[in-house]
Amino acid sequence: MTRPGPVRIAVIVAIALLFFLPLWWVTISALRPADEIFRYLSPLSTWTFWPRELTVAHIAELWTGPFRQAIVNSVYVTLVTVVVGLVVCATAAFALAVIDFPFRNAVFIIMVISFLIPFDAIAVPLFGIMRGLGLQNTYTGLILPGIGNGLAVFLLRQFFLGIPRELREAAFVDGMGWFGVFWRIYVPLSGPAIVSAALILFVFQWQAYLWPLLIAPAPDYKVAAVAIAQLSSFYDQNFGLVFAAALFIALVPMAVLTALQRFYTASVASGGSKE
Amino acid sequence: MSARNRLYAALIFLGPALLAVILLRIWPAFDAVHQSLLAPRATRYGFENYIFILTDPVFQNSLWTTLIYSLIVNPLQIAIALALALLMNVAVRLIRFWRTLILLPVAIPQSVSAVIWGVALRPDGPVNAMLVAIGLEEQRFLTSPDQALASVILIVSWIGVGYWMMFLLAGLQDIPKSLYEAVRIDGANRLQQFWYVTLPQLRRPLTFVLVANTVANFLVFAPVQILTQGGPQGSTNLIMNEIYTLAFVAGDPASAAAATVILVSVVLLVVIVQFRMMSAPEDRQR
Amino acid sequence: MTMAERRSRRGGTSGKVAALLTATLIAGPALAQETTVNFLGANSLDWYAPVIEAFEAAHPDITIAYQRVPFEDLNAAIEARIGQGDSSIDIFEADTPRVPALAWRGYLAPLESRRAEIEAAVPNPVDIEQVSHEGTLFAYPMWSSTQLLYYNRDLLDAAGVRAPAAAPAERLTWAELLEKARAAQEAGAEWGVLVQQVDRYYQLQPLFESSGAGPGLTGDGLLEPAVDTDAWIETARWYADLFEDGIAPRGIAPSQTDDLFINGQLAFMIGGPWVLGRYMSAEGLDFGVAPVPYFEGGEPVTPTGAWALGINPGAANKEAAKTFAEFVTLTAEGSYLSISQAPFPPTNAEARQRYIADMAQLASQIGPIHAVMEYELGNTAVGRPRTIGYVAFETIMNRTFSDIRNGADVAEMLEQTQNRLGRAMSRLR
Repeated sequence: MTRPGPVRIAVIVAIALLFFLPLWWVTISALRPADEIFRYLSPLSTWTFWPRELTVAHIAELWTGPFRQAIVNSVYVTLVTVVVGLVVCATAAFALAVIDFPFRNAVFIIMVISFLIPFDAIAVPLFGIMRGLGLQNTYTGLILPGIGNGLAVFLLRQFFLGIPRELREAAFVDGMGWFGVFWRIYVPLSGPAIVSAALILFVFQWQAYLWPLLIAPAPDYKVAAVAIAQLSSFYDQNFGLVFAAALFIALVPMAVLTALQRFYTASVASGGSKE
Repeated sequence: MSARNRLYAALIFLGPALLAVILLRIWPAFDAVHQSLLAPRATRYGFENYIFILTDPVFQNSLWTTLIYSLIVNPLQIAIALALALLMNVAVRLIRFWRTLILLPVAIPQSVSAVIWGVALRPDGPVNAMLVAIGLEEQRFLTSPDQALASVILIVSWIGVGYWMMFLLAGLQDIPKSLYEAVRIDGANRLQQFWYVTLPQLRRPLTFVLVANTVANFLVFAPVQILTQGGPQGSTNLIMNEIYTLAFVAGDPASAAAATVILVSVVLLVVIVQFRMMSAPEDRQR
Repeated sequence: MTMAERRSRRGGTSGKVAALLTATLIAGPALAQETTVNFLGANSLDWYAPVIEAFEAAHPDITIAYQRVPFEDLNAAIEARIGQGDSSIDIFEADTPRVPALAWRGYLAPLESRRAEIEAAVPNPVDIEQVSHEGTLFAYPMWSSTQLLYYNRDLLDAAGVRAPAAAPAERLTWAELLEKARAAQEAGAEWGVLVQQVDRYYQLQPLFESSGAGPGLTGDGLLEPAVDTDAWIETARWYADLFEDGIAPRGIAPSQTDDLFINGQLAFMIGGPWVLGRYMSAEGLDFGVAPVPYFEGGEPVTPTGAWALGINPGAANKEAAKTFAEFVTLTAEGSYLSISQAPFPPTNAEARQRYIADMAQLASQIGPIHAVMEYELGNTAVGRPRTIGYVAFETIMNRTFSDIRNGADVAEMLEQTQNRLGRAMSRLR
């Protein structure tokens, strides 16, 4: 790997900005008066991508309304999902990759099938089950479906399979148990994979829409994805508010995702220094 | 270690995930199987619903559209994600920030992405304005049966490639630097390094991305529902949109259940083939 | 229901058992204790806030908790929750054309015992029909709707075009309107005329009714499609030509059409009273209203129907829910409050009079909108087809209209639609 030249850096920046352009339009639309949002679409002008008049009215309206609680709910629900989900999925992946037990392949197939099932298509019967358990309008009802994520199990299993078996055999000789092998050897070696699994759990819960709508309709438990949909009505869509809400919804993951990449860049930097 | 010890350990490690998956995914899915075998107002199991949808030209068209869409979108997204991962796998200042910008579309609600692209691709919208500005002709995008599916592919790729890029980036971190050094001593150029080191070493992450991306694309729904509702003229009627239409619009949950069972079977088949294709001898003996 | 039961339901430890208990134990005296009525709807809470506040002041023992879901998901929410026996929804908004399907599926409690009271407050038979299925009342009629022709005065003046008259007797034919629209476009207007909900059956049905093509459904229970007739093809082709000839723009979502009118890009807009709020507050927009056009040789027709209130047959608090619904729909006070924020004419006769009087105050600015609305609601209103297959019908038709306006072959499209409708309806018969 060579040190990147200026051309490569320019390409990186250009592509990143191209991806961001639609969101830039969202950002300025959130900051301009509602009637201006669709005024300068065509022909292309400065005002297409730059606000002619700035206003924080949409942001202020959101922040003083129930949307703030929805963001808090989303962050809480997603955080718990990611933390608990990582433990549940990583241990399961460890068993599937490392422990030799009867019906291992059958269990793996069940995990794979579980993420082939379109979640929205089973939402109605699942709602019946969860309501029977009394989980309507609870955080638990929101969080539970996000925790057992077959895709995250699959990802981590793939990664664990790549860790040389000599490592754990040596650990067993040293008297370590299954949990010790998992916690002291597999987890520390799996930084990028665990971040990736966290990303899967995060996106599933952060994007969840139909399920929260059914299981937690009470205002106290409303999540951001549902709240943003409720900003528009059949008769009148307030795009200024919708875009301002999208900004809020994008900011949290932006901060988290940038920070989490520490686990990626660290090893890149060490690789680079070997040059 | 004894077989019993291993079984107990597996049970403890697997228990929570297995319980969650069976109770919250597999069990409700059985409800769909049960419903799919009961025709409206029928009292006995039968295949009437399956016969009904499989002979329905709209459902047939929807299956075809989904297959064609999958054949295009999966290789395309994986190639772009891999190219982006290689490009972004450098240690420069702010690289984390640039990566986040590419990843960000996956984190905003799809209802918003759909609104953004619906506006961008309007016949009188900014994308056409840009095309005109550089001397090209205006396009019809979502209003044309020939361009709508391509437009949907553009939108879901904007949402998805950053996400898949991250998994491949994680895989790239994992390749021992010594392997590159070894082949470089043998005089391998960049392309050869990619072919003989990067690609084989990325086999597991690539398998994951291939399978996960295929599944995700089979299940694409929100952008279609919001932007085209399957139109124009059924050209974007992907199967999940058809299932939702049957269940909640046409008031025919039995057909929707049958369609869901067919969808899961098709995806399972595809995924099994992919596993076979991507598996290596060392996985089998484990 | 006792407090203890309610708490256990809320705490969620024995949901199913408690729900069953409460469903069987519903009785009048329960009202003596404090009750929370859960109200599910698609519209903004702002619309209901004034009427809820007044109701709670008059009934201190009942609290109304409003749960909102977006319009597109209301059906899914009703299907999933009421369909799965959820007793925690007591009352919900029912879109009037969906009443037959909801009633047929058993999601609406019949209200025959209240017929005398309902008909006394809502005397218009069209409004009563909108909440009935096979002769039985299934919802409380709440709001109605109608359509108006809005025109941009500046764009017409620039073209030297005379503004359309507001008197229903001088209603324009479509041919006359298009002539004016073309003239406005020649003088600089970007677009001539647009129907606000460009591809929704609600707004396009009147075209087909006015031209004599009919609603598109016939037969027993209105479950047989009839959209491939010559008359349908002819009217649909006329609509397609508006877009083909550049009088109306293609590819714009219904939610973005208002901006064209507000930004002065569009000479004529056909829209409901709900556009008034944004139009009145738009800076630099000078507009007037007139009755919607008709086809020469046909009848003038306007759409109607809006939202009604339905009671969940398995509701935990059925009686309290009815008390609330009757306050909103059957009392003049409640009905008038319910439209203080919502842009609809109320169905309650007394509240309707006050609504029309309020509208009259806008007359100096935009013309006699009150007179136009009153005339249309009383004389030209035609409801959507009353059939259990309405939702499927409407969705399939909306997609067809979308394809037609975007350039698909009209005859071919309608033939496909006829087949698709036939198959969908066959599952319901």
